[in-house]
Amino acid sequence: MTQVFDAKNLRKTVLDMAFSGATVHIGCAFSIIEILAVLYRNHLRFHDDTPADPNRDYIVLSKGHGVMAQYACLHEKGWLSSEDIKNYFKNGTQLKGLADAHVPGVEVTSGSLGHGFSVGVGMAYGAQRRETNQMCYVIVGDGEINEGSIWEAALFASHFKLDNLIVVVDENGFQAMGSTEEVLKLGNIMEKFIAFGFESIQLDGHNESQINDAIHQLKSKKNGKPKAIIAKTVKGKGISFMENNNIWHYTRLSSETYAAAMAELEEK
Amino acid sequence: MRAAFSEALVTAAKANPNVLLLTGDHGYALFDAFRKECPEQYVNCGIAEQNMVGVAAGLAKAGFLPIVYGLSAFVPMRVLEQIKIDVCYESLKVIFIGDGAGVVYSHLGSSHQCVEDIAALRAIPNLAIYSPADRHELAYTMQTAMASSQAGYLRMGKADLGDVHSTMPDSDIQAILPILVRDNARTLILATGAMVSSALKLASQRRDVDVYSVPCIKPIAKDHIYELCKDRDNILSFEEHSIYGGLGSCISEIIAGNIICNFKIIGINDKFSKYCGDYHYLMDYHELSHQKLEALLNN
Repeated sequence: MTQVFDAKNLRKTVLDMAFSGATVHIGCAFSIIEILAVLYRNHLRFHDDTPADPNRDYIVLSKGHGVMAQYACLHEKGWLSSEDIKNYFKNGTQLKGLADAHVPGVEVTSGSLGHGFSVGVGMAYGAQRRETNQMCYVIVGDGEINEGSIWEAALFASHFKLDNLIVVVDENGFQAMGSTEEVLKLGNIMEKFIAFGFESIQLDGHNESQINDAIHQLKSKKNGKPKAIIAKTVKGKGISFMENNNIWHYTRLSSETYAAAMAELEEK
Repeated sequence: MRAAFSEALVTAAKANPNVLLLTGDHGYALFDAFRKECPEQYVNCGIAEQNMVGVAAGLAKAGFLPIVYGLSAFVPMRVLEQIKIDVCYESLKVIFIGDGAGVVYSHLGSSHQCVEDIAALRAIPNLAIYSPADRHELAYTMQTAMASSQAGYLRMGKADLGDVHSTMPDSDIQAILPILVRDNARTLILATGAMVSSALKLASQRRDVDVYSVPCIKPIAKDHIYELCKDRDNILSFEEHSIYGGLGSCISEIIAGNIICNFKIIGINDKFSKYCGDYHYLMDYHELSHQKLEALLNN
């Protein structure tokens, strides 16, 4: 099967999972669709196309609640079956509502926020010590960077000159209980990462061309600096009634909203 | 015991280039030999313990064998969730060293004391817990932890109380080690860590008390403990740890419903150290000094 990682189809897979499993976190998955699509299509290297390749690039979804977006990509990779997708959240199945490293292709168990970045930093540090050319990509949420451990990891990455590390901040402007501005002001995220010693780029997190160019540019720079992409995104991107509407952090699809969301995607 | 620890670290690192020693900016003089002998395998992660454990998990995924060192008040207490999720849930092999366990840092107060680490860790799967009593048990438990396929926590308590063994034990991983054994002693003391030395001192003055050391708290040798306990009149457990969730709790889980006897858990009785003072002062404050234990045994 050709792997195109078409954003519209990935969103459809997410909707199918969310509807059949009656699950939440739809908006959280939709804000990272294009980021994951570009990474899986153009950058992540899996020799022999297996998730167990010891020389693979690492992709760590530190904001583990966006995992349906990654499941959609893993389905297209062929590492998750259509049965896995169809049976999401059914008793006795493997796919949980938060990222879990027992799933092929999921590197880190990251439902608890502020963990995945450190583990990804450790993997990048291991690759650096072994002098492999593996890259490590970590996706964190903007709400997630409330966690102090994120900034501990940022210090470590900078001190140990991990230029094989690219952290992507999904800046959708919302966290569980409200906007990031209302809950705990983050200020200028890019300036913070620059202050922590990262080479940083801010871009439109739904513009695949911009994402692709930024990753190409950053990963080619072996300058002793870790890299950060601050991706301005829209929570719930792709469905008009979900966009920037934080209830889609928690809301489950009804038959009506599922049909309406699918119809919107079909029209695009 | 600290010299034995330093030696064990150097030996482990020289034997395996994948061994990395991670510290949260602790262990100043302790790591002199390691830094001299294996400088490339020494990683000071800064005062950032949460990240240190996450990094250790990432390194383990990348094929390294991290040994994470900290004061027990911080490793494991500050990083309990990272140990649970980043390391144990994924069945990674990382070895944690918690130094200064118990009330060793007596003058510094409760922030640097740790009497709850065993209780906190016992409920986490995929993690062994070791509590050596002297330098020989330290070498033995380090060797066991390195050879094991699972993660381990090594609890280092008061380290200068002298030896309770003459050589390194060569028993299997779950051994309960004899320290002082008499014929038909009616009283049994099962002790761990620094309290083995206290138990030995007490029992040396009596003829009717056996003392065994329990250097491996989890997995614990259930059958062996049952056999040692089943025909006793009195059983006591000694630990420089809370009476809740430590060695005493392990033993009570084994004998409850199976053996009728007098059993008392001797440990820190659910209170913080209120006052400043030296180690012996605080042990007395917590009713664990030789005099207090002697009085208890006489009753």
